[in-house]
Formats: sequence, C-alpha cells, structure tokens
Amino acid sequence: MDSTQLTTLTGVIDKKMNRQLKQYMDICARCAICKDACHQYVGTGDFKYLPARRAELIRQIYKKYFTKTGEFVPALYEARDPDENLLDELYDSTYACTGCRRCMYYCPFSIDTAWILSVAKAILIAAGKGNEMLGQLADAAIFKGDNAEMFNDVMVSGFEDIQEEVRAITGNPNSRVPVNKEGADILYVALAGAHSIRPAAVIFEEAGENWTISMFEAANYGFFYGDVEKARLITKRYIDEAKRLGVKEIVVPECGHAYRVAEFFYEAWSKEPMPFKISHILEKVDQYIKAGRITVDKGLIEGKVTYHDPCQLGRNGGKFEEPRDIVKAVTDNFVDLTPNRAEQWCCGGGGGIVAMEEFKDVRLASGIKKVEQLKASGASVLACPCENCRLQIEELNEIHELGLQVWQVIDLVVAAMPLKGTKPTHA
Amino acid sequence: MSDETKIDLELDLKGLLCPLPMVKVSQNIGNVPVGGVIRAVATDPGAMADIPAWAKSTGNEVLQAAKEGSEFVFLVKRVK
Repeated sequence: MDSTQLTTLTGVIDKKMNRQLKQYMDICARCAICKDACHQYVGTGDFKYLPARRAELIRQIYKKYFTKTGEFVPALYEARDPDENLLDELYDSTYACTGCRRCMYYCPFSIDTAWILSVAKAILIAAGKGNEMLGQLADAAIFKGDNAEMFNDVMVSGFEDIQEEVRAITGNPNSRVPVNKEGADILYVALAGAHSIRPAAVIFEEAGENWTISMFEAANYGFFYGDVEKARLITKRYIDEAKRLGVKEIVVPECGHAYRVAEFFYEAWSKEPMPFKISHILEKVDQYIKAGRITVDKGLIEGKVTYHDPCQLGRNGGKFEEPRDIVKAVTDNFVDLTPNRAEQWCCGGGGGIVAMEEFKDVRLASGIKKVEQLKASGASVLACPCENCRLQIEELNEIHELGLQVWQVIDLVVAAMPLKGTKPTHA
Repeated sequence: MSDETKIDLELDLKGLLCPLPMVKVSQNIGNVPVGGVIRAVATDPGAMADIPAWAKSTGNEVLQAAKEGSEFVFLVKRVK
C-alpha cells in the first residue's frame, strides 16, 4: 500500500474520530460476553464473526496511527497497518455483520460494534473494497431519484394496477391509491414491491386517511453500503417529495432500517432539522385500531401467532409494543418468542446480507437461534414487520421445515378486517 | 424484439419481491458474455423501475421492459 492510500485510509478514521469512537477503541476489556450475544458467532463459531474481533481490526489500525505505543512498538500492542490482508479480513467481518447491536446490548461498556463497523465500511469504500452489490443497489436508487420523470409513467401505471387490487379487497369501487396528492396529511413511502403498498392502502382507505403514495421506496442500500452521502441522497428523494406535496407526516413501511434512517439518521446526515413527523406504519395502524377507525375481528386468524422484533425497529428503534398490541388485537392466540423485545435474537437477515450471495452460508448458519425460538413457540403464524427478516425467515422456514406462515403485520390486519371484497393470500 | 434477440440466459424471477429481481439480474450479468442478453421474467411491478435504473447506473442496457399479462419481461444486454 502506497503512502497516499495509507494517508487516505487513516484519514477516514481521523475524520470519524470523536470521543465516542475513541472510547470504543480504548475500553474493550476482552471479556468476550459478546460471543454469546452474536447470532453469527453462535451459529458459526468462526472467530472473525466475534463482535470484539470485528472491532479489533479497526482498533489495530487505530493503535498504529493514533497511539504512541502502537506507533513505536506495534508488535507489543497489536498495532497493524491496513494492508491487503487486514482489509480482506475487515471486509468479511464488516459486511457480514447485520448491525443488530445485540452485542452492544450485552456489552458491559455498551461498545457499539455496528458503529465501529460504519467506520470500517468507510475505510473499505475509500480503499475501493466496498460491497459491489450494495453499491449498485444504492446507485440505482439514486438514479431513480435523479431521473424521476423517466419512471413516472411506469410507476403511475403500477399504482393504478394496485388500486384495482385494493378495490377488489375492500369491495369499495372508490378505494384509491392516491398519487402526487398535494395537501395530503400523510406521505406513505413504501417498499418497491406491491406487497408493501396493497395492504397499507386497504388500511389507509378504510381508516379514511388523507394520504398519498410516494414515487420512491423507503429501502436505503446506501445505509447498508456504508456511504453516508449515498444514504442521504436516497432519503432526500422522499423528503423533497414530501416538501413539494406539503404533507404533515411521513409514514415508513414494514422495513426496519427505513424507519431508523428516517427517524434517527437523516437529520445528522443533512445537517438540518427533519421538517416532518416520522411514523412507522404500525404506529398508525395501532392508532387506527385503538381509535376505532378500522375494525378487526379476532376470529379470522387461525393458529397460534408469534411476533419477531426486527432489530432495527425493536432494539434499535424502540418500537416493541405497538406491533404486539396490533397482533393481540387480531388474535387471542398470541405467544411471544423467548427472549423478546431488546433481547430478541437477530434472525440473521439484516444489514443487506440477503442481497450478498457471498455470505449465504454464514447467513443461514446464523439463523439457528431464530429457528430454535420459533420451534419453541409452537406458533404456526409469524408476524414480522421487516422485509429482510421475512426473506431470511422464509428461507429458514423452508430449510428447517418449520411449517410457518410468515406474514407482514399489515397483512395480518387486513386478513382480520371484515371487508366486503375478496381477501388475498398474503404477500 | 424478443423473437429476434438471441437469449444467453433465462432468469425466472417470478414470486421474488423487489429489489430481489434487480439483485438476481446483477448477480447473473457476469454469467453472460459482453454483448450477451439475459431474459428475465418477474411478477413484482417494482421491477419495472428497478431493473432499468440498475441498468442505467451500471452502464448496461435494457432492450425491453414489457408487461405481459401479470408478468414483467426484461431483455437486459451486458454492455461491459
């Protein structure tokens, strides 16, 4: 590695260095409590997936270039240059991490390994070793934002088709999927797939909500990729749209990281106050049910139902009770997973890992704790408000023959609503 | 166009939810030669924006993006 590249990579750490990162670099006691908290380490037993080890790779560079002891006696203090070997190891450790932050929850010093790995991703990107697939997904999203007019007709046509499906479900020919509706109260930023629009539209329309659908998707692969500027641009697409339409509130779909990005990160990225109230779709649905704006019938869902807390919505987003209240409103046959809420096991599908084929083996192996939880619950239906989690759990469901139906929470709600039309099979 | 174009790889993406159709096309574009064509069939309407956007941003070319009944059929040419 030449001196220019070395300066670039150490400069990334220097730019990210603050008291928080310095504390994380200095404070790890190597107690290894995190080994029992990490689903990937538990599932694979592979040292490189030990949270403390993932962080240690950044710590080694830090010691070499930001401490005198590491600079002058590197062998004694385990200080290393960010050479090709270290970067290759860093790539596996970093992009395989789902960012669930369960290790942080159990760490006696609350070391945020996912935050340290955001520094690792910035280093890898600066070294030209960012994950190609995540980068492509991010660039495609930005391209859609920069060339919105190119996709307008196909998007509107797609929404019209979904509107027909919504009308078939509600049995109401006046049900709508409003597009570009100025003065709407809510901008619903769905996922790219129709499955996240159809049931939400049924619920919004039955609740009499004044809403409109976004032309953009809430998923943010710039966030997973680790490029703050790409992540900001992807989010900005619907922030600008919300400003143009004059809405009061942005509602994000059943997508863990989308909620966290909008609610917690965008302000810092854009360096300006978030001009809109950010809500998760399940907060709205919970309010509709409790306010009597939609009706649900507990007798329409068959079987024992359980609920998986997506890490970005639960442990990292603080939304534990609204989804449970919804599930309990649609069935008397609810059983929680053990452990749950902040201690919930990651399913192994977060952080964009489902899009990275190279990590398929570790991803599936790391799902073993979730499989054990699901088996122990005895449930036949799983409500799960995260796209990545559902993709992972559906694959685990098939491999381990769990016999589960894996539903979005809003699909469960629509299934429990007494509607005049024809109920769809979910998703 | 699909009747005249030589197809190098067929991808059945039916039932996959976005962005997985785009992901699968991206993962497989290296499996056809430069100038080669993937024919991909998806059922998620989001693919109608996702796959062309991916192609534009990666320098590849969508020769066709057409709705055929409930399916969306793409011809994607590897350019580089």
